[in-house]
Amino acid sequence: MHVDPHSRPATDKTIPDPFARSASGFPSPADDYREAPLDLHRYLVPHPAATFFMRIADDTQARGGFQRGDLLIVDRSLTAQRGDWIIAVLDGELCLQQLDGNRHRSWLCPAHPDHARIPLDDEHDIRLWGVVSHVIHSCRRQFCAN
Amino acid sequence: MFALVDCNNFYVACERLFRPELAGRPVAVLSNNDGCVIARSQECKTLGIPMGIPTHKIEPAQRRHLHLCSSNYALYGDLSARVQQVISTRVPALDPYSIDECFLDLHGLATDELEALAHSLVHSVDKDVGIPVSVGIAPTRTLAKLANQRAKRQPHASQVCVWTHHDDPCLSAWLRELPLNAVWGVGERLQSALTGQGIMTAAALRDAPQAWLKRRFNVVVARTARELGGTPCLTPQELDVPRRHILCSRSFGRSLNDPRELAEALRHHCQQAGEKLRRDSMQAGAVGVFLRTNPFQDQPQQRSSLWACLPCPSADTRHLNHYAQQLLGSLWRESHAYHKLGIMLAELTSRRYQQANLFESHDSPQQERLMSVWDNVRQRFGHEALTLGVQATNASWRMQSRQRSPRYTTRWEELPKVSGR
Repeated sequence: MHVDPHSRPATDKTIPDPFARSASGFPSPADDYREAPLDLHRYLVPHPAATFFMRIADDTQARGGFQRGDLLIVDRSLTAQRGDWIIAVLDGELCLQQLDGNRHRSWLCPAHPDHARIPLDDEHDIRLWGVVSHVIHSCRRQFCAN
Repeated sequence: MFALVDCNNFYVACERLFRPELAGRPVAVLSNNDGCVIARSQECKTLGIPMGIPTHKIEPAQRRHLHLCSSNYALYGDLSARVQQVISTRVPALDPYSIDECFLDLHGLATDELEALAHSLVHSVDKDVGIPVSVGIAPTRTLAKLANQRAKRQPHASQVCVWTHHDDPCLSAWLRELPLNAVWGVGERLQSALTGQGIMTAAALRDAPQAWLKRRFNVVVARTARELGGTPCLTPQELDVPRRHILCSRSFGRSLNDPRELAEALRHHCQQAGEKLRRDSMQAGAVGVFLRTNPFQDQPQQRSSLWACLPCPSADTRHLNHYAQQLLGSLWRESHAYHKLGIMLAELTSRRYQQANLFESHDSPQQERLMSVWDNVRQRFGHEALTLGVQATNASWRMQSRQRSPRYTTRWEELPKVSGR
């Protein structure tokens, strides 16, 4: 049998115990309506096997709202569309880029307004690594692990 | 029908996933302690670097071209689980065989769908996880394994080979040329025994009389022959002797003699062995410890091991460690510089079928509970979170892994960093 390594352990307490009773006194009227708490991991990572976390190294993509130390959630199972932020392999390096294009061609938007766009064609060795689905920015400094 | 899915040059593929600059370059992955080469990229094979070569024996001229990586099992283990997860959502049953291979049971699928399924597996594992795999499909596991070897050599690099019938002309032609050691479960010794009886190729083994194979060799060889003929009758469990020992050992970063450092290293191995034991719901009836000096150095040599039988089988790390430390005390000699230490657990039995002992008690429910909490804590908060006694983090007995890449997928502080450029 295959055991899903990303699933939660069986002892997890998020599932309400159907036989739970309050230790004393009256049973809570809310017991019949108890639901599992919202699970942020499930919300952010619908495809655990294909999802990888990355960290923003600098402020070069600040125009997209990405700041140094932010956490990226990259889902490889998604198909990139116009306007998506993606992780691309550029000259053997993983880079954060925005994908754009029209009906005929696609290109990467330059991070700096003075730079030219980089077309996705046979001339340029560019591979798409994954699609950025979320970015998590911590408002308090100590959470930035850089 | 069965399939074998195998990750191509798995360890190298894992290293390249987060370091795309390694693509197309010769890459070799080193064993624990950076001792020898255990995995090679295609470019590295082309350079003529043999498997298993000690790191210091690689010629400097070759070494300059070569990118060496220390093994990063945290990364490989995580990516392996992801590969299996992606595959398991697409097939009826998956049976992991090793860190980079798994068998699939494709019962109930239409024969004409198999080729498309194989291609979709290759595609989705590559897209979702970024690891290249090859798929071999055939009527038996033994043939699926051969189909996989064939898939890797396909000229058009499709990484897929499907034989829907055992009498496929391409398959039959290949079996007539295939040496026996290419067949699953035929090792060197069995090959020479079979060759001695005039059986030189896989086709000859397939056609040998069943009764004679059973009498002259054993039932597994006879079944291997039937599997080559297209009748499924072997499972991975039958070919691999079930786990009868657990071994945790490692060479030290440098030679050691301090009994306290040795005891610490042994505690570390004990914890690992105990975890493996409990993961398989087993308990051990005997504990062994071995200790050896470096045979390549000119100094007093020792290479010895001792065993202790436990009064009652146990899966309690503290219990196992107690006996192991006593054995270490008996093995240790003054003035020897030790190079390697290990613990062995044997007489493994399932915890479900315990035999009562009149005088000694088994692991109590409290002990079992403690060990399961122990395992959970270490799994959740890291192996340094809860240890048996003090464990120095930079102890000299620890693994040398000078070139280890970050644990990109399992540590917050080692996530890949990206920039916009």
